[in-house]
Amino acid sequence: MIFAVFLPLLFALFVPYISKIKAKVHTGIFVLIIPILIFLYFIRFIGTDFSPVTETISWIPSLGINLTFYLDGLSLLFVLLISGIGSLVVLYSIYYLHKSERLGHFYVYLLMFMAAMLGVVLSDNVFVLYMFWELTSISSFLLIGYWHYNQRSRYGALKSMLITVFGGLSMLGGLILLSVVTNTTSIQSMIAMSDVILNNDYLPLILTLLLLGAFTKSAQFPFHIWLPDAMEAPTPVSAYLHSATMVKAGIFLVARFSPIFAGYEWFFIIVSIFGIATLCWGSYMAVRQTDLKAILAFSTISQLGMIMAMLGFGTEVAIFAAVFHILNHATFKGSLFMVAGIVDHETGTRDIRKLGGLLTFMPITATLALFGTFSMAGIPLPFLNGFYSKELFFDATLHLNEGTLPITNFLVQIIPYLAVFGSIFTFVYSLYFVFGVFGGKKQIDQLPKKPHEAPIGMLVSPIVLVLGIILIGLFPNMVNGTFIAHAAQAVSGVPIEKDIYFWHGFITPFFMSLAVVGIGFVLFLTRAKWAKVYHAVPGNFSFNGVYDWTLSKMDTVPSKITNTYMTGSLRLYAALILSTVFLITLGALLLTNGFTISFDNLAEITVLEIAVVTIMAVAAIATIFARHNVSAILILGVVGYGLAILFVIYRAPDLALTQLVIETITVALFLLCFYHLPNLRSPNEQTGYKFTNALIAIGFGALMTVIGIAAHSSKWFDTISEYFLETSYKLGGGDNVVNVILVDMRGLDTLFEIVVLGIAALAIFSLIKLKRNKGAE
Amino acid sequence: MEIVTSILAGLLFATGIYNLLQKQLLRIVIGTTLISHGAHLFILTMGELKRGLPPVLTDGITEYSDPLPQALILTSIVISFGTTSLLLVLAYRTAKENNTDNMGQLRGTENE
Amino acid sequence: MSNLAVLPIILPLLFGIILALTHNRIPLSRFLTKTFTIINLGVVSYITFRVFNQGTITLETGGWEAPYGIVIVADSLAMLLVLTTNIIAVACAFYAPHSLSERQEKYYFYPFFLLLITGVSGAFLTGDLFNLFVFFEVLLMASYGLIVLGGDKVQLRESIKYVIINLFSSMLFVTAVAFLYSVVGTINMAQIAERVQEVEQQGILTTIAILFFFVFATKAALFPLYYWMPKSYIVPNPVVSALFGALLTKVGIYSILRMFSLIFIHNIDFTHPLFIWIAGLSLIFGVIGSISTNNVKLIVAYNIIPAVGFLIMGIGVFNEDALSGTIYYLVHDMFIKAVLFLIVGVIVYVAGTSDLRKMNGLINYYPLLGWLLFISAFVLAGIPPFSGFIGKLLLLKGALSVDEVIIVLIALISSLLILYSIMKIFINGFWGEKQESDNIKLKSTKGFMGPIVFLLEFSVMLGIGAEFVYPPIASISEYLLNPELYIDSVLKE
Repeated sequence: MIFAVFLPLLFALFVPYISKIKAKVHTGIFVLIIPILIFLYFIRFIGTDFSPVTETISWIPSLGINLTFYLDGLSLLFVLLISGIGSLVVLYSIYYLHKSERLGHFYVYLLMFMAAMLGVVLSDNVFVLYMFWELTSISSFLLIGYWHYNQRSRYGALKSMLITVFGGLSMLGGLILLSVVTNTTSIQSMIAMSDVILNNDYLPLILTLLLLGAFTKSAQFPFHIWLPDAMEAPTPVSAYLHSATMVKAGIFLVARFSPIFAGYEWFFIIVSIFGIATLCWGSYMAVRQTDLKAILAFSTISQLGMIMAMLGFGTEVAIFAAVFHILNHATFKGSLFMVAGIVDHETGTRDIRKLGGLLTFMPITATLALFGTFSMAGIPLPFLNGFYSKELFFDATLHLNEGTLPITNFLVQIIPYLAVFGSIFTFVYSLYFVFGVFGGKKQIDQLPKKPHEAPIGMLVSPIVLVLGIILIGLFPNMVNGTFIAHAAQAVSGVPIEKDIYFWHGFITPFFMSLAVVGIGFVLFLTRAKWAKVYHAVPGNFSFNGVYDWTLSKMDTVPSKITNTYMTGSLRLYAALILSTVFLITLGALLLTNGFTISFDNLAEITVLEIAVVTIMAVAAIATIFARHNVSAILILGVVGYGLAILFVIYRAPDLALTQLVIETITVALFLLCFYHLPNLRSPNEQTGYKFTNALIAIGFGALMTVIGIAAHSSKWFDTISEYFLETSYKLGGGDNVVNVILVDMRGLDTLFEIVVLGIAALAIFSLIKLKRNKGAE
Repeated sequence: MEIVTSILAGLLFATGIYNLLQKQLLRIVIGTTLISHGAHLFILTMGELKRGLPPVLTDGITEYSDPLPQALILTSIVISFGTTSLLLVLAYRTAKENNTDNMGQLRGTENE
Repeated sequence: MSNLAVLPIILPLLFGIILALTHNRIPLSRFLTKTFTIINLGVVSYITFRVFNQGTITLETGGWEAPYGIVIVADSLAMLLVLTTNIIAVACAFYAPHSLSERQEKYYFYPFFLLLITGVSGAFLTGDLFNLFVFFEVLLMASYGLIVLGGDKVQLRESIKYVIINLFSSMLFVTAVAFLYSVVGTINMAQIAERVQEVEQQGILTTIAILFFFVFATKAALFPLYYWMPKSYIVPNPVVSALFGALLTKVGIYSILRMFSLIFIHNIDFTHPLFIWIAGLSLIFGVIGSISTNNVKLIVAYNIIPAVGFLIMGIGVFNEDALSGTIYYLVHDMFIKAVLFLIVGVIVYVAGTSDLRKMNGLINYYPLLGWLLFISAFVLAGIPPFSGFIGKLLLLKGALSVDEVIIVLIALISSLLILYSIMKIFINGFWGEKQESDNIKLKSTKGFMGPIVFLLEFSVMLGIGAEFVYPPIASISEYLLNPELYIDSVLKE
């Protein structure tokens, strides 16, 4: 099982070589083997006596991150979809993509996705799940951007990545919280500890974060906006990732975790609201589209909403219907995408306004489309699987669990109506799709290419899917006991026994279906008349607009913010840094009562010292007001020499000597460098600047003084210097303790002090030299 | 006296910082020099001032001033010297190369 | 055998001096630099291996016993970082000849480079606070030498800001050392820790701690002290940017980690929440900066800020998971920042501009470069199975287990924007149409790719091979939470 997940990745490594060496043969032919093998591997597990299988390989056991793969009914359903639809899509792509395309890239991305998606549905470890989850986003990004020279592709790719990775990260937050709360990384263990989670204070946060992940991935309202733009990907990708599998990852996540949250009323409220809203909005908007793939994209959004809503309902029939619909949706939507691809391929356009009357040119395709759309519309015919799950959906909306919160009961009341509303539009766009393309009058002159029926190879995959529609429709119980029931049981936690019939009698769901068909048909015929409503709702508003607005703000606002302080002005930088340090350090001083002052242990004050100190102080202040370079430098020298005198007074002869020498050299250097530069100007800035400068300077200086005094007043320990005095002669062999410290005890300091000087010399040399060379060139 | 030197060191910091906040390069370099003087004075003050003789061992004397801060200051003076010299040359070269010694004009744009 | 501990400092110093002598002979310098960095890496690997197996090696330099002389403390944390430093050094040594002009090579790039490594290694290894200052000066001085190398207008202009800000923070550093010396009467870090513990960090000590924090925070480019950083990091040659981005800010973070896990840990309720605030603001303003610009170099430079935000967050949370996260992320970030700066260097080289708006369709000509950038983006954003994820996971886990929810949410959103900032380069610069005209001369990227791939491999291995890396790192964080281990290894033999 683990091998099955990594097989596509392993194979992907060889794809670039295959595509190069066997350039004459379509790379897809080799790739096709992989999903078929996986499909055959997993199909063995189907059976009435199926029980979950676990396999583990240690990866990072010390962090609890292991490749634990858990195959239960739910994941089995998904792996079969992934590998089954995957095989059909690869087959289809062989005819869809020409050999001159960069096939190597395409199949590497596709295989990467396949592995990632298998990983998502099989992982029991939350972090491994997250890893595969992001990998699906990444491969989807690459596939949408496959034709990256199109601006639309780049736009769509970025959009899908931003939204799904955002969701992924918030899901990660939820998963980490879950693992902190339960102290495990295994989903099955978490489910076993659901009472712990339900009683945790973080429950709302966990739920929100997880659902954000699920909703963004499954294109739930209002995060659905990335899906229509994802249609820039080659059609096989749309059929595979953006309708049959990846977008169902969010559904999968909710299904996977719903045993944990089953008892939590807000779970029902949030998931149902978002699901129903998505259903209605998606189907409503689909009617408005003119691009075939856009219609299908909104239709996918709407169908995903419907499945999501059913998971939110959480009743047995709802879960059963949800799982059943996952399968059905994959069959009819997959085939419809392929049909759209065929139409695009053979006519050169996907614009429904230019298409029409293609029935005579492409009869097989038209038939396939008819089955697909009618199944999607939920037309009550016994050979269409879509009808069954639609009917179960209606049934589920009528049997919702009452709750304790008023909003729950309100939802219970209105959901059936909203369900009918959404389904009516589903019906409308289904007819719109099939009759818009294949019915109506011919407009051959509008088409870029002369239409004809697709090659048989391209038709195989949609035919297989349509056969699926019919077979499931005719023998629904064939997939029920062996397959759907296990999946539903995995979601609900209890065995669900449900027989599927075509005819239930004259019960409410049947009348709901009739209403959908009736009203839907009227609306379809009168479409031109009521299309004006789209001017009112959504009118000029679109969620896309919100996204575009945000993105454009992301380009402008941060640079505005950043440019306010990143001005390149040293003064501003220094002022900001100094005031921060000042304020927070002062805060620390005050809050910790750090200040103490003691007058006990002070040296006496002599007149000489006061004189020197005063001179230094005056000189230091005078530097501010100096007008001439030379005078400023000399005044600075006064401070330096003053310091040397202080060193003498304070019994530091070596220091005094050094200071004298160095001050002299420094002054000389100053003069050398600045003699030729313009004279100092009076600081002719605004008084405001002067004032802040002075404030910062005085504040900071005072703070240092205060800390210094406090530090000096808190001598709580003997210094280690006693040791130096004791051992200087004995061990160091010198009388001058400072010298012994420098060359011996702290010789390392001195060594590197010389190194610093050396580097400085080299740096100065190269500064001067590089300039000279420049002049010479 | 330690309090007085602390105040002086604080003042050196303050005047140094005031100069640092100016636009003209020379003033800025003067500022950094003043700040390093302040820092060295702080180190000296933090050992105790004038307790005993210079730390050169002499027979019969047990009271010496603290040698460690002195050693540290020595290292620090030399290092500051290195940095200041570099800064001076750099400032000079910058001023020459950019034809201005005004940091207010040395800001730059985003894409260079 | 304890002399081993000083080798990571002394060897590059010697090599640096040799290279200063051979600076006129460029081919020889190149060869020697490559050889030296490899030798150094070998030695450091051996020492690291020993330290992890047999425990901390301490060396009392000059034979003067601690706490009186200077001690070199090669503990697991220091050695891990020294090792990482030297791996990056090898990559840079191989990248440099392709990226530098001969003039730059001639004017002491190689000596500065090795002395920078000396300073960085010294800062990681020393057990003496004043000596830490000295090593800071070594690495800063070497960085001054590197940043002005080339000496054009822009470079000089940004260098001077860099030098001035760092000079100020160095002066603040010595002053803070003096204050601390006055209170505890010692500058040996282990003994300071012991004494601060004895008086329970009362009185002025917390204020001094904050002062130290700001000294290091300025070097680490944390909010709100990073203004000097982005532009001064992009003006020098890419290989210099890579060294700066990978090493310099991280030395600041290391120092904060050391000071606030060893010494100032007795007023955690006051100091550490401050770190979390600063972490949050660094994350926010860092990512805002990184998406604010179209200059590809600047995008990477700004990305340093959220990264140090992540690092400081772990120190602020201060439990085992969070500290492990910080250390993991530290190592990860050193690698990936070097990688990104090196990649962006090549991008600017082949595109002839650093303005993203003027680039298009590079992937048609430089596919490998594009995919390396693509992978790096996910490594940086912390997408599994790459290295950033493990660090981030630990950090977030640590933060959530002490109910720091808001910082976690900020961290998650930042990760998205970090990814966006790099993907912007990929989408706008690499994707796009092949140019029609023939006047595009393809520039050879030979020689650049080896070092980048070499470093990126480590990033990937740190993630996939986490089982080999995490346990030692967890042991480091456990070790940091028990400061008496450090104190004993220095003071009690």
